Amino acid sequence: MSRLYFVFVVFCFTAVLIFAVYLRSANNHIFYKLCACRSEQGRLKQELGTKQLLLEGFINPAAVSQRFGSFNTSD
Amino acid sequence: MSLAGRCFYLQFLKNDHYTKQCLKQQKGQIPYKPQRGVILDSRGRVLAASNKVRNIIIEPKRVMDPKELSSELQPILDMGAHVICKLITESKNPGYVKIKADASLVECQAARRISSAVGVESDWRRHYPMGRLVSHVVGFTSLYNHGLEGIEYQYNEQLSGLGAQDIFLADNRRRPICPAPIEQRPADNEEVKSSVLTNGAGIILTIDATIQQFVRDELVKQYENYEAESAVAIVVEPKTGAILAMVSVPDYDPAKAHSTEAENRRNKLLTDEFEPGSIIKPFVAAIALDAGVVNKTEKIYCEEGHYSGNGFGSIGEYRNGYGDLTVSEILINSSNVGMAKIGQRLGKKRLYEGLRLFGFGKRVGIDLPGEADGLLWHTRKWNGYSVTRIPFGQEITVTSMQLIRAFCILANRGRMVRPFLVRAVVDSKGEITELKRPLPPVGYIVKPEVAQWIVNEALVGVVNEKKRAKLEKWQVFGKTGTANIAKSNERGYSKSDYVASFLAGAPVEDPAIVVLVSIRKPNKSLGKGYTGGIVASPVAGAIIEKTLNYLETRYARADY
Repeated sequence: MSRLYFVFVVFCFTAVLIFAVYLRSANNHIFYKLCACRSEQGRLKQELGTKQLLLEGFINPAAVSQRFGSFNTSD
Repeated sequence: MSLAGRCFYLQFLKNDHYTKQCLKQQKGQIPYKPQRGVILDSRGRVLAASNKVRNIIIEPKRVMDPKELSSELQPILDMGAHVICKLITESKNPGYVKIKADASLVECQAARRISSAVGVESDWRRHYPMGRLVSHVVGFTSLYNHGLEGIEYQYNEQLSGLGAQDIFLADNRRRPICPAPIEQRPADNEEVKSSVLTNGAGIILTIDATIQQFVRDELVKQYENYEAESAVAIVVEPKTGAILAMVSVPDYDPAKAHSTEAENRRNKLLTDEFEPGSIIKPFVAAIALDAGVVNKTEKIYCEEGHYSGNGFGSIGEYRNGYGDLTVSEILINSSNVGMAKIGQRLGKKRLYEGLRLFGFGKRVGIDLPGEADGLLWHTRKWNGYSVTRIPFGQEITVTSMQLIRAFCILANRGRMVRPFLVRAVVDSKGEITELKRPLPPVGYIVKPEVAQWIVNEALVGVVNEKKRAKLEKWQVFGKTGTANIAKSNERGYSKSDYVASFLAGAPVEDPAIVVLVSIRKPNKSLGKGYTGGIVASPVAGAIIEKTLNYLETRYARADY
């Protein structure tokens, strides 16, 4: 019984040590994740901006006029 | 003992030195370039915007074998291996060379796996969704995103924004793990003061892209039809001075501006001065009526088309000679002799002062670069010719911008109007930071009843009796102009080169828009005509009809 108890204590102590080490660098992990998420957010915003510009390119008066012009000539 | 001594030396005596070295190794920074502000039309449609692109770059000094690297990159980047190799080997900068601009995410990820010497940088690229439609208004930027023409140039500081820099500590794989300590951040005197990025402000114009398209379509058709050298057209709200459309052809695609001829990049509405011809007559007539030197009912004898005398040479008419004409008839028939006599009655001083009040001889002051002053000599330089020639548009040069402003004054019942192009400046969140509308005009250039009479009687008569730009739905008022162009290499005027113009507005009861169309050097040899009435007035009529229909629809929808 005391042997089992000893193993259990050692196990808990090791776990706490590992967890303490992990906690020490948790701040850094979170900061890195934050930077990565910000970068991803920026990338998605840019993709949205690109799509918006593409859409504007299709529906603006210049593009519509060009398309009407090509319809008329093809008729 | 020696070990303890060494530890003491490193940990205490050399503590600062190794801490600094350590922080230097761990420090990383990301510079952020600000996004250039958008340029929108009056209805929020995008005229210019920036979007991020990825560029694939290489550090040549870290490349062991350029040929091998090039052949590995060739299938990924879809570029010739010899091209890539040449860029690497011939790069003047051993730390940086751009291999491919605007690469896709897949290309970037694949290229980075090939070698650690390959990197990806992000940059902003300017887009112009409407292409050449608003090229002369919006302008274009350089490869480094500096405005070089148009609104891009005029508002470069507001559009540029402020860059920033993020400083952090990195692990051995250069991944950020925590913000840098305060003492490691840039000092106040360094270029990048802040880690807060400020994107460029947005500019909202008074231009309506739909009206701009109407104007461009009609103008380009006529410009090509008459094989003209150039053509300009502008549409303005006379009450406020807001410019709804501004077109100059030939034009260019702002995305390809660097390979366009400089001649095509010039906004001829602002830069080109010309002798206006008959189109200036309504303003001189208004000055004369306002000064009381003529009245609306008196008849002026127009010498049957031949008027000469000491000190002012000989003046003829464009077509027929006329006898007695009222001021209204002088304008309707565009009599040069009649205008010369009105000029003589006015005299130098009143004529000069009146024209200066109408804005001739000085810039309008619009938010675009390159505006010319026009030329109206001071009376000290006038002779007998001047006071008889200026009233029918010779011996004076004007820009199209000055003409439209003067016409706005007449349409606005004699009140001063200042045309403007920028409606508001907004921040990156869309909040208005600056409203740019000019102050409401104070005072009259000519009496309201004089301006109203010129518009309602004389200029309506030009349209109705001469059938210029006549519309069924609205009463248009206007004046034609066919100005000779002076010869460049000798004295006198060319017999084949003219500027055909038409200034118009509608509806006469309550003018909503005024339009100027001016076509330079329509090809006379085509035999289709070359005068303002034949070449320019149909364009103005079509523009007015389409614009008023569109504005009516817009306001009807808004009410609904």
